Amino acid sequence: MLTLGGESLRFANIDDERAFLVRLTENERLPMPLRPNMGFLVKGSIPDTLPEGFRVYVVVEEETATCVNASVPTVVLPAAYGYLSDGDVLRIAPHRHGVRVLYRRKARPNGILLTEQCNHYCLMCSQPPKDIDDSWIAKQTLELIPLIDQETPELILTGGEPTLLGEDFLSILEACRSWLPRTAVHVLSNGRRFADPDFAQRYAEVRHPDLMVGIPLYSDLSTEHDYVVQADGAFDETIRGILNLKRLGQRVEIRVVIHKQTYERLFMLAEFIARNLLFVDHVALMGLEITGLTRFNLSDLWIDPVDYREQLWRAVSHLSSHRMNVSVYNHQLCVLDRRAWPYAKKSISDWKNEYFAECDDCQVRDRCGGFFSSARLRYSDHIKAIVN
Amino acid sequence: MPSSRTPSRVRAYKVAIRFRPREDFEQPLSAGYRLLPFTFTPLNDHVYVATNQAGQYVILDRASLEDFVRHRLPYGSDAYSTLKAAHFLLDEDSDVALDLLALKVRTKYERIATFTGLHIFVISLRCEHACPYCQVSRQSNDRIAFDMSRETAERALQMVFRSPSPAIKIEFQGGEPLLNFGLIQYVVEKAKELNVPHGRDLQFVIATNLAVITDEILEYCKAHGIFISTSLDGPADLHNRNRPRPGNDSYERTIAGIDKVRNVLGRDKVSALMTTTQGSLNRAKDIIDEYLRLGFNRIFLRPLSPYGFAIKTKSYQAYDTDRWLDFYFEGLDYILQLNRDGLHFAESYASILLSKMLTPFETGFVDLRSPAGIGIGAIVYNYDGDVYASDEGRMLAEMNDKTFRLGNVHADTWEKIMTSDALLEPLESTFAGSVPMCSECAFQPFCGSDPVFHHATQGDAVGHKPTSSFCKRNMAIIRRLIELLRESEETKRTLMSWIVA
Amino acid sequence: MDGQPDGRTEWPSREVRFANDIYSLDAIKKAAYRLSDRCAFDLRSESGHYVAVLLFSQDLSDDDRASLERDFRNEVLDYDLRESIAAETTQVRNAVLAYAFSRTGLQGGDTI
Repeated sequence: MLTLGGESLRFANIDDERAFLVRLTENERLPMPLRPNMGFLVKGSIPDTLPEGFRVYVVVEEETATCVNASVPTVVLPAAYGYLSDGDVLRIAPHRHGVRVLYRRKARPNGILLTEQCNHYCLMCSQPPKDIDDSWIAKQTLELIPLIDQETPELILTGGEPTLLGEDFLSILEACRSWLPRTAVHVLSNGRRFADPDFAQRYAEVRHPDLMVGIPLYSDLSTEHDYVVQADGAFDETIRGILNLKRLGQRVEIRVVIHKQTYERLFMLAEFIARNLLFVDHVALMGLEITGLTRFNLSDLWIDPVDYREQLWRAVSHLSSHRMNVSVYNHQLCVLDRRAWPYAKKSISDWKNEYFAECDDCQVRDRCGGFFSSARLRYSDHIKAIVN
Repeated sequence: MPSSRTPSRVRAYKVAIRFRPREDFEQPLSAGYRLLPFTFTPLNDHVYVATNQAGQYVILDRASLEDFVRHRLPYGSDAYSTLKAAHFLLDEDSDVALDLLALKVRTKYERIATFTGLHIFVISLRCEHACPYCQVSRQSNDRIAFDMSRETAERALQMVFRSPSPAIKIEFQGGEPLLNFGLIQYVVEKAKELNVPHGRDLQFVIATNLAVITDEILEYCKAHGIFISTSLDGPADLHNRNRPRPGNDSYERTIAGIDKVRNVLGRDKVSALMTTTQGSLNRAKDIIDEYLRLGFNRIFLRPLSPYGFAIKTKSYQAYDTDRWLDFYFEGLDYILQLNRDGLHFAESYASILLSKMLTPFETGFVDLRSPAGIGIGAIVYNYDGDVYASDEGRMLAEMNDKTFRLGNVHADTWEKIMTSDALLEPLESTFAGSVPMCSECAFQPFCGSDPVFHHATQGDAVGHKPTSSFCKRNMAIIRRLIELLRESEETKRTLMSWIVA
Repeated sequence: MDGQPDGRTEWPSREVRFANDIYSLDAIKKAAYRLSDRCAFDLRSESGHYVAVLLFSQDLSDDDRASLERDFRNEVLDYDLRESIAAETTQVRNAVLAYAFSRTGLQGGDTI
């Protein structure tokens, strides 16, 4: 797991009162006019002459503590931040001596959390909702987007429930279209706001060139879905949202997290999707992440994936026989029915992706998506290296 | 990215954690459920097939069916959940079923708006074969009398583009259309020219016995992307007996022709259709083997059509529906065995039915549509300019029954033809949702009405379904397919793989 | 419709009675229509009952006649059940059709 932020770090000569965003560069010959808005990244020992004129100098220590040049604005970060590189964007919070890494150019994929508010309370929520006003995040995101590298292939916008931001959400999408025209945007949302035809229409009017919304659906039965997301009427609104989006020609993906409360009817859900929502662009069948609320509900949620491998294969098979695009995420190859392997993708964000000791001799390790870091808390009893 | 875990934030979640139990999301037990529209038909002696407006089906035994209709089905039981998810009932938990049902019904009927996609041009009646079951051909060299003229072709083409269908298939029929190849060339080129402002997806097919195909013809087909459809009734002895020609070498010429077409146009550019005659009925396996041998991966096991010379020579009465069904099921079983042995091979009629049973879509197959596919799905422009509601309607006319003649390209406008009583009357009267037995049949969404067939065999377009061989045939095949889909995962996957996207 | 056509020899037959406060004439007619390929029918009405007369062909065995009668009774029950369904669902059926063919959906104002 990467360290993506901290407080009480070593700051020197930073007089700003408010937090600010800065993009990092390692290019000491960066033209002068560009320097006042950027941060110069130094890894290891500080050179005798630093290039002048940068907004801030960010030094990542290696083994030993670094001596800081007292005359320039400096932030010293411990070695855990050694992954930082050219193009990354930091938020520097002077009052707390805090730093947060908002964007890493090399990250796969890149994601931005837009809000922690949510109108659902999923049993397995990996980002537990908070009932606070965090509209500052949306404002910060609008500042961040122009600093993001234009060649970033994909940006995932998550929450909480991003559409709760209303106009701010639409503004963020528009900013993505304007500043990052070549970046695919994937929004993760429960889709309910799109049941409002006007909102769906405004969303479509952004006319983003490469936009898709990933919407969870956990059962073919409304009561089961509403139970999993802990919200009455969720199923109906979510489906109406999907229908509105597709009527407007927008791309929609259906996401299903598989656990003890959803695996039994997984095949029926596949039948339901193939019959009623055949026009969606992609279906993702996903493994459980042991984080957030999942940890509190583990006994109600945990099931060894090997125990549902048959339901999972039948669901994949049914959807693909109807020529739908289907992928399996967050499952190790050794827990899947072999016939499902072609559908398994390497899907776990790099900063929380790991392999365990059992994987050392595995011949298909490169093809396998591995584990969430949080899987250390609980993972299948049947992990074993595949040795052909 | 997760938020950092500072103490104040952990405190915020601890207060919030409280999950509501499943029961909280369920409706009160007293609330009951409402039925959504559906009907049912016995599948066999034990269970029924129930289908809803969208053509989704559920299998139920009689007791469950009755409990369901009388509102005695227990909430949350397996049957209840299945029926709820399949949109057979509505309860207080959810009502998005109505939106989804309407969408599926709309999808099913979309083809009507697409309108006439298949346009058949009878390029010439001349033919050098003398097949006993043939409906229409003439052994004659009189080109003027039996070839379509340029003027007729041009007028017909104007009508083709009056159809709004985004995909237009022009099929050349006969007689033997290659005997008037010059006109085929004219139609192809003129059609492409007329299509420029329309931008439709234009396809051409020539239905030919391949006996007279030449390299020049093939080169032309290659240059213009034309498909070939030929007849292959089975092994040599069967094929030649069905299709006499001078020299008795129809089979040999067909095989040589298929080979040639594949080499020049490509292996997927030629398809074969068989015709069933009395001689075919105990040769199912041989016929399929012949298709296998020639590298085809589909076969359409067709019934004998009751039109034209077939009735004249009494070869239609020569066998009944039961015998044909035996033939069909023997073929189907053999094909399923081939699939179990690792080969991908499909039966086309079953594929069409399966598509209607398992997907929300209607197919382009005009003989299994309601409203019927006559005129609005396919239309025929005869060599003399007469317009017919279907190819079978043309065949009837050859026997002096012009019931399905809609007009003539030289005398009538497209509007007059498409709004003629000859077309609208049978379309309306045979709509399956309104006719006896069909209106309450669970298989209605998978079936269709065939006004021309019923008119030819029973004397009126609606027909008498209890004695209709069309009805008997379809019900038997649909029942068998439903049983097969229940039989095993493997059989189900095989059958689903036959559905053409 | 009562009695048998004049001038014909008597056809073997069976009578099946249906209480007319339980079964509708429509259900009985539809069932008869459905089985009309296997036997002919005569229908009449008698105080409180509908009477269906199944007219068999001469060469039908007793077993076949019994089986036909059973099938007929089952068909009437089935049509009766279908009537219950239709009574309850006709309105929804029309609403679904209207919605399916409308330009604006149940939610109103969608752009198609």
